Amino acid sequence: MDNNINFKNIWQQQKVNPPDMDDLHTKVKQYKRASLRKQIFYNVVLAATFGFIIFIWIYYQPQFISTKIGIILIVMAMVIYLFSYNSMLSILNKIDNTQTNSKYLQSLRTLNTKQKYLQTTIMSLYFIMLSIGICLVMYESASKMTVFWASVTYICTLNWIGFNWFYIRPRTIKKQQAKLDELLHKFEAINQQLK
Amino acid sequence: MDFNEIYKTYWQKIFRLCMGYVNNFDLAQDLAQETFIIVWQQLPNFRKESTVQTWIYRIASNNCLRQIEKEKRITKADLPIGFKDECQESLEPQIKMLYKFISELPETDRIIISLELEEINQAEIANIVGLSETNIRVKIHRIKKKLTQKFKERGQ
Repeated sequence: MDNNINFKNIWQQQKVNPPDMDDLHTKVKQYKRASLRKQIFYNVVLAATFGFIIFIWIYYQPQFISTKIGIILIVMAMVIYLFSYNSMLSILNKIDNTQTNSKYLQSLRTLNTKQKYLQTTIMSLYFIMLSIGICLVMYESASKMTVFWASVTYICTLNWIGFNWFYIRPRTIKKQQAKLDELLHKFEAINQQLK
Repeated sequence: MDFNEIYKTYWQKIFRLCMGYVNNFDLAQDLAQETFIIVWQQLPNFRKESTVQTWIYRIASNNCLRQIEKEKRITKADLPIGFKDECQESLEPQIKMLYKFISELPETDRIIISLELEEINQAEIANIVGLSETNIRVKIHRIKKKLTQKFKERGQ
């Protein structure tokens, strides 16, 4: 059926010099170093966050328990966001890449769906924790204001939170989802080829 | 199994598979190198449930399939058109054409035909891709027909 065209022969004429083994070893080392650097980075960030909490605690001496809880909530929200984002990236690298193509495509798809769910949940959790945290932290200073100014402060803050929740949050989620959806569609299309 | 030995035996073959997939010299080299980094990482976990060859080709083809996630990089690899392209220029037009035509096929077909042209038997291809042997045979037949037609249209 080849109709006299010897594809195998043509195919195998494409030659390339294998890069130096050293080159590959350097790449492997770079790779190792990069993952180590990432680990160090996250540990430093974590340590810095806790340092920051302790600093605020000592410096401002919050009297109310609400302020303390608020600070913890805000910082926790940031940490959760940072770590989940990072772990989501590494989830993708955990797929077994020695399975058959069709199984591999299936796991990529399942993973993307999971990722999609995680992103939405974590994004919402982040905003909720942040909002509650801010409201709690404000309470201590608001309690020292007149009722009028306290209300003004809270109304402004709640407006800002509402803007974040109803405008920024859905927009961010939509943007993230669009990227994932595009990938999902592509994987789906490739998977269809194997049907 | 010695990594250096695997590297020597399979570099050329894996490069051709990647080249057939993307038809871009630099990118194919990157993909091949990524494959070998994965091989290097996974080698201690290799359980001999399949042959080394099947195992390596699975890693390589899966890595190619993952390529769409990193598509931004293509534009990056496309940028430095320069010296390296010259070695492609010197290739016979037939070779260039074959790789071009293959890279225009649907993704999984590119992998299947590349493996066939590497003279891997159809049972093993079936085992790499995850389809039945019959299915693979039919697909190879169709792909070859399509390629022959394309070659003929170009007056070869």
